[in-house]
Amino acid sequence: MRRWRPEPMSALTLPSPREEAWRWSDLDTLRAAADTTPAATGIDPAALFLDIPGARLLFVDGTFEPAHSRPGPVQLTALEMAGDHPLGQRAQGEGWVLRLDAAAASDPIQIVHLGTGGESHVPARIDLADDAVATVIETYAGRGWSNRLLHASLGKGARLQRAVRLLQDEGFVSIRDEAQIGEAASYVSIFLGAGGMGSRIDGFLRLDGIGAYAEMGGALLTRGEQKQEAAVAVHHAAIEGTSRQIWRAVAADASTASLAARAEVARHAQKTDGEQSLRGLLLKRTATVNLKPELEIFADDVKCAHGATVGELDAKALFYMQSRGIPEPQAKALLTHAFVADALDRIGDETVREAFAADAEKWLEAAL
Amino acid sequence: MLKIENLHAEVDGKPILKGLSLSVNAGEVHAIMGPNGAGKSTLGYVLGGRPGYDVTEGSVTFDGVDLLDLDPHARAAAGLFLGFQYPVEIPGVSNVQFLRESLNSQRRARGETPLSGAEFLKLARAQAASLEMDAEMLKRPVNVGFSGGEKKRNEMVQMGILNPKFAVLDETDSGLDIDALRIVGEGINRIMRAPDKAVLLITHYQRLLDYVKPDAVHILADGRIVKTGGPELAHELEREGYAQVAA
Repeated sequence: MRRWRPEPMSALTLPSPREEAWRWSDLDTLRAAADTTPAATGIDPAALFLDIPGARLLFVDGTFEPAHSRPGPVQLTALEMAGDHPLGQRAQGEGWVLRLDAAAASDPIQIVHLGTGGESHVPARIDLADDAVATVIETYAGRGWSNRLLHASLGKGARLQRAVRLLQDEGFVSIRDEAQIGEAASYVSIFLGAGGMGSRIDGFLRLDGIGAYAEMGGALLTRGEQKQEAAVAVHHAAIEGTSRQIWRAVAADASTASLAARAEVARHAQKTDGEQSLRGLLLKRTATVNLKPELEIFADDVKCAHGATVGELDAKALFYMQSRGIPEPQAKALLTHAFVADALDRIGDETVREAFAADAEKWLEAAL
Repeated sequence: MLKIENLHAEVDGKPILKGLSLSVNAGEVHAIMGPNGAGKSTLGYVLGGRPGYDVTEGSVTFDGVDLLDLDPHARAAAGLFLGFQYPVEIPGVSNVQFLRESLNSQRRARGETPLSGAEFLKLARAQAASLEMDAEMLKRPVNVGFSGGEKKRNEMVQMGILNPKFAVLDETDSGLDIDALRIVGEGINRIMRAPDKAVLLITHYQRLLDYVKPDAVHILADGRIVKTGGPELAHELEREGYAQVAA
């Protein structure tokens, strides 16, 4: 199979931390991850798929592995993607496409990206026709720099449920999502960053049709000296749209978790219902949470609830739990889990939600 | 069962308990009464091991064990229960989850087998019913959106589930209307009135003592027990006030 190879890293121009949109980004870790040499990880890719029916795709270092896959409705093909996102634009060439119409079966589609080192870039496209329904679950594991670009387009009444977990042990994961959401269509994308890698989750969701629904949120959990980041925006271009940006950041040790969320409401996008909730939890005073909530509203008849707070675990609640017999680490884990549950509970499928909760639990056990 | 000797404790460097001594035997209920600021709640927190409540002198033994040497969760596993004056709200953690984790942590610490989900639910429902608390409330986040009275009732449900040997109940009667007071009083008797158990009731008012008859009443003033008597002492206090009786 012919593969498009990106320019070597030395030729790559990365954004500068002096640019406002990239000032919290851990591009040193990205660069170091890209420079690593592929080597066996000892990870069994089969264990990274959830035990649910539906299509399965495995990419190792960005290359499709048919032996571990049953792609179902997903097509593997070379893609030429438009766009000028500094990282996303590098994802060109071999990728995957999901095109569904209303008649298609709606079993979940699982995609596992296993990195063994070096850089990999995979573009993807999801086109849902009117009233089509899809669930896509993505898992990132291993190491290296995994760079992904998704273009999604939802027709009238279409529904996409997407859940993405970042579980790479090291390296860097960057994801850029761009979506156009049609009339009464619903786009829900929930992320969990619970690995040891650096990350940058970028998104731009555009509500194009009347009564569209857009949601992008999740939880970033950081420890050690790790840095994870989400920088997302929704753009209300039509009336009666609803958007939700519900993000939680938990930072332990000397790590940094950063959340930047922006909601834009165009002048004619009346009756918009927006909610933006960014909350950070510091497990140690040496950790950092950065929050940047932004609202840009040009219409006059809109409801946009927003909140941004950073705090520590409630000492009173901790003592209350201990006084009932719960040891301190477990009490901290319960409280922290409750904190991130707000974001992860938005995953519609129960099996997927429980799997993500278990990943968060595993992180908490290690971090506390 | 509980023996407190010459206990001195401070909060933020400020001495609150100044040589408190008290002994409670198995099968007894003792009441501690006293004016605001006497150190009643501090005593409860010191016994529970709350961070920031520092013991500077004295000792507390519980069934012969140095209580002050134990972490708060280990004190609970040893059989101590602290009923809070202001029960804490814990958003996102359900009562069931919280209490099952509490009970099973204690059981594990004592080398007992943890209860299964079904066994625990049966126990929790029975305790909720006997305190006339709607079982639906067990599913709700701990104390979130509960009224003052519901929170206190929930404390008693917790006590019933955890079934401690010794309960320190800090103003469990505050915020209760007459009916709730009766239900809570009966709950304390049902759960804690046993030859191998004991209770320390911290209260401002005599009214809870109408339901839970104390074997001894102590007056706490300025960090020390200044007077000890029988149940009649509570009535005397109610009539004449702390200043008169404690003088």
